[in-house]
Amino acid sequence: MSPQERVERVAAAARRAARDPSVVEDLARTTGLSPEGVALALSRHLETSPTPDDVRALVRSAPVAPVSVVVLSATVFVGALRAIAWAWAGAPRVVVRPSHREPRFAAALVDALGDPGVTLAPDLDIASVQRGEVHVYGRAETIAHARASARPGVRVRGHGPGLGIAVIDEAAPLDDAASALASDIVPFDQRGCLSPRIAFVREQAPTDDMRTLEFARAMASALERAERAVPRGEMSDAERAEAARFAEAMEFSGRSLRGGSSVIGVSCTLTLPPPGRHVLLVPFASDGALRELVAPLARHVTVVGRTDDAPALHFAHARTARLGEMQRPPLDGPVDRRPD
Amino acid sequence: MHPFPESDALHERARAFVAAFDAGAKMPETFDALACDLARFQARHVPGYARLCAARGVDPENLTRASDAPSVPAEVFKLARVATFAEGDAAATFLTSGTTIGRRGRHEMRTTETYDAAALAFGRWAIATGLGKQPAVIALSPSPRDAPDSSLVHMIEGFRGSFGDTTARDAYVIDGARIDLGRFDEVVARSTTQGRPVLVLATSLALAHLLDALENAVFRLPQASRVMQTGGFKGKVREVSAQALRRDVGRAFCIPESAIVAEYGMTELSSQFWERTARTPEAPHGVYAEPPWARVVPVDPETLAPVDDATIGIARIEDLCNVDSAFAVLARDRVRRVPGGFELLGREAGAPARGCSIAIDEMLGPS
Repeated sequence: MSPQERVERVAAAARRAARDPSVVEDLARTTGLSPEGVALALSRHLETSPTPDDVRALVRSAPVAPVSVVVLSATVFVGALRAIAWAWAGAPRVVVRPSHREPRFAAALVDALGDPGVTLAPDLDIASVQRGEVHVYGRAETIAHARASARPGVRVRGHGPGLGIAVIDEAAPLDDAASALASDIVPFDQRGCLSPRIAFVREQAPTDDMRTLEFARAMASALERAERAVPRGEMSDAERAEAARFAEAMEFSGRSLRGGSSVIGVSCTLTLPPPGRHVLLVPFASDGALRELVAPLARHVTVVGRTDDAPALHFAHARTARLGEMQRPPLDGPVDRRPD
Repeated sequence: MHPFPESDALHERARAFVAAFDAGAKMPETFDALACDLARFQARHVPGYARLCAARGVDPENLTRASDAPSVPAEVFKLARVATFAEGDAAATFLTSGTTIGRRGRHEMRTTETYDAAALAFGRWAIATGLGKQPAVIALSPSPRDAPDSSLVHMIEGFRGSFGDTTARDAYVIDGARIDLGRFDEVVARSTTQGRPVLVLATSLALAHLLDALENAVFRLPQASRVMQTGGFKGKVREVSAQALRRDVGRAFCIPESAIVAEYGMTELSSQFWERTARTPEAPHGVYAEPPWARVVPVDPETLAPVDDATIGIARIEDLCNVDSAFAVLARDRVRRVPGGFELLGREAGAPARGCSIAIDEMLGPS
């Protein structure tokens, strides 16, 4: 079986797993997403129909190894498809350790694949891996732990936390942009490494913020509508507390609007809203000002969402995408292109 | 500097609390009375605070209880100017530690007179009473020249000038990143000869580094010496529990653990809180006493309503000396009220990350 065929088989297995009603039902419980949130993830954010060019690009980027271990994170459960496809494209043997919190989708995918080359090992100890590679998806601590545990000669590749940012250019119709950005924020309740948390809004002059405020109102409406269609899943006490603090801080330092459960903050000073479908809007008036604002964030940015074809912002290792497509990257390699 | 009689009057009222404490007299007015006047003043002159009050449905003009005045999240000091007076009129500006994104928090002070009075009064009570002779002061911190925007260094310098033997040479023994053990030894040796105690004022991190430099050696301090220990290890590579640090410091300096007194303060405040173990050796560590002009109220992190005694909440700190900034500040520390004061239970780390969207704590950690 060629590497391309392996990738296509993983995509086909994902299509089958996504249609299994028992999997869908279990995922709402294990991910904490609402049933509608699970359905959204499976229908729009599972890359089950890659183009031949995408597959070729993924295969080209896949590391070659005798065996690859894939350690998955929870919540963005669809990531299992890409992680397994990428690993199997480069290694004839893949061992999958699902997240303890959300093991269901990975297990269903491996089961649907039904190939002895890809197996599950829920309790795998990274220290027991003798050779090959370990691909770790998730929090920085998880990756650090894996690096510390791995034996010499075993390569650990980390795909860690990040965020998406959006840039709203001067010509963008604000209502359309807001609807599109809301559709990027909602998936996985904003807990993915591509999830946008900050949007920069182009103004005419450095002291202006009228357009940003108008966009904030549009975002509030768009997020409220989106929440009616796809209710937010469970939020922990700590997450709700963070949202309350963010709202208070924005109320003091700028503006704070509500769109359903979402807090939309407007501020000239950069901060990070908590995940849970909250967003910070920051006005800017020139490309230079934008670059300066974004500079401290740069190493954490995985994707830049844009409203036009000539974006003012480029990062060497961040994807770019139209608003509305930030969480739908093609199956052309790892989602996160930042150097490991 | 522009005259600001309204602010001056409130500062005087705050300092009256400090003076009464120093004199062992009755407080000049109730905490609530001054607190509500401060909140009204701040709502009139700090637009952000007025917005916060409006958002919470609070009319400052009708406040009668301090607890009804909205608190300002500490992170606001990084996002906005929290000051009642004109820009350029600050006598001092203290900065918080840097973070990965955004700017450092700024606490501008129109005058440091109230801050200094409060810090000295309660600091003296906690750590500099009953020493016998005037102590020599050793500061395990940068000097004011090297850290002009640090409120902690400002406080240490105030203690050095007020409590210490000012004929002594410069007491700052941190030079860049290095602890000057030779100078430390000099001060200790001279103090021992003179029969003076030594007051060591240090951050927890500096104490940990000192212990590393000493390895297992002992550095006997003169009798009645005391150590102020402040701050934690947030964002640093190494982390040591407060108990372990205290034990090791006591062993290294040959002093009882009760002589090691923890202090809790924030750049965003004007007042500090202290353990009382130097005054009452049997008092438990980890319990902080409050001066009459400041108090810590544990609140629910989401509703911000006060929680019952012995329930853990987030620290809402009401500080009558924070005249020109924010009377009530919402910290990130978890606290619990206990007999004698409150316990400090570590920082709220922000919601633990779920998924791979970067956590606030990772992004906003120290730069």
